[in-house]
Amino acid sequence: MRTFIVWTAGCLVVPLMTTLAMANGWNMPVGVTDVSREVHSLHMTIFWICVVIGVIVFGAMFYSLFRFRHSKGAKAAHFHEHPLVEVIWTAIPLLILIGMAVPATATLKKMYDPSDADLDVMITGQQWRWHYEYLGEDVAFTSNLGTPRETIRGKGERGEHYLLEVDEPLVLPVDRKVRFLMTSDDVIHSWWVPDLAVKQDTIPGFVNENWVRINEPGVYRGQCAELCGINHGFMPIVLQALEEEEFDAWLAERKEAAAQEASGVDREWSLDELMARGEQSYNAVCASCHQPDGSGNPPAFPALAGNQALMEERERHIETVVNGVSGAAMPAFRNTLSPVEVAAVITYERNAWGNETGDVVQPSEIAERLEE
Amino acid sequence: MWSVVKSVLAAFFGVQKDAQRREDFEEGHPVAFIAVGILMGLVFVAVVAFIAVSAAR
Repeated sequence: MRTFIVWTAGCLVVPLMTTLAMANGWNMPVGVTDVSREVHSLHMTIFWICVVIGVIVFGAMFYSLFRFRHSKGAKAAHFHEHPLVEVIWTAIPLLILIGMAVPATATLKKMYDPSDADLDVMITGQQWRWHYEYLGEDVAFTSNLGTPRETIRGKGERGEHYLLEVDEPLVLPVDRKVRFLMTSDDVIHSWWVPDLAVKQDTIPGFVNENWVRINEPGVYRGQCAELCGINHGFMPIVLQALEEEEFDAWLAERKEAAAQEASGVDREWSLDELMARGEQSYNAVCASCHQPDGSGNPPAFPALAGNQALMEERERHIETVVNGVSGAAMPAFRNTLSPVEVAAVITYERNAWGNETGDVVQPSEIAERLEE
Repeated sequence: MWSVVKSVLAAFFGVQKDAQRREDFEEGHPVAFIAVGILMGLVFVAVVAFIAVSAAR
């Protein structure tokens, strides 16, 4: 009778715990693409196979420990070989593994087939933000952490999407095959959105491919999944999936804006205009290292406020922002920011926080330099 | 020769009868086992490659 109770309890605990775990949202999400659904069902199939094996193996073990315990006078059996049993316990795992490999391979084949895509998006990891480029559409932007710095430092209310919000989300259409071309400008990052079942390393010098076809409009969130430096936890991914017409409208709007941004290079900008624009870009891109007040975080991130070298050497300042400093933490911004943004940031840094050089760096000057 | 093949197959699978193992060690020639082992290893790789290629179609 006691044995029966122990057994029943043992058999109930495992399903109970798994049910609890799933109800609490600890399980892998089903996701919003056909592939993610397949990955989820594979995950569950293999999970239950493991549960059954676990119950049988540990059940047999605990039963034997209990039933044939020394205090009841059990004697160990001594035999050297038993080919039939050995064949059985080798063949069963082999069959189980093949049984799992067949459906897993079928799903992997689908995941690795990015052909016939309707839209190509280049995803570039950078310390510490994501850059998205809609290839052939002249639309590109950087997606920065949207949580304010003060909130991270404990001032102010933490919202529902604390550290999982960005200034500009990646926008994709539903029902279209979107191919991702993924790379990195500096170190290895990993672009991970659980609802898409996509977790792909972005590696400098390599282009990895992946693809999605999203079934439901909505906002899906993810994070960098490869430790990439001090702000690894501060480069989230937000993806907004729109209905096809809405997406087309969005893309057209962004194209228009991009064309306008490009035409901004040709005209003369006033100091005030550049300062306003520069403050915006500085806070989005530069402030994570050099701080919103320009005080920096020495020695890796020098102070910009009151920096004599910066104020005296205009040329070197431009060079540093455009091409970065090799061997140091300063990245090149020639591909991340537009000429207007680069000019505005430099003008801002040369005139903010008491750096009153009065210098104006025109977008046209930066554009010329980029063409060299 | 057939017994060498059977012993190599048993080694691939990982289970062998003790009596057969003793016999192999007393009567067999190591070179025969090594040669048959390499040859069947290549056959195994070819079979797996064939399955992979046909599955990828």
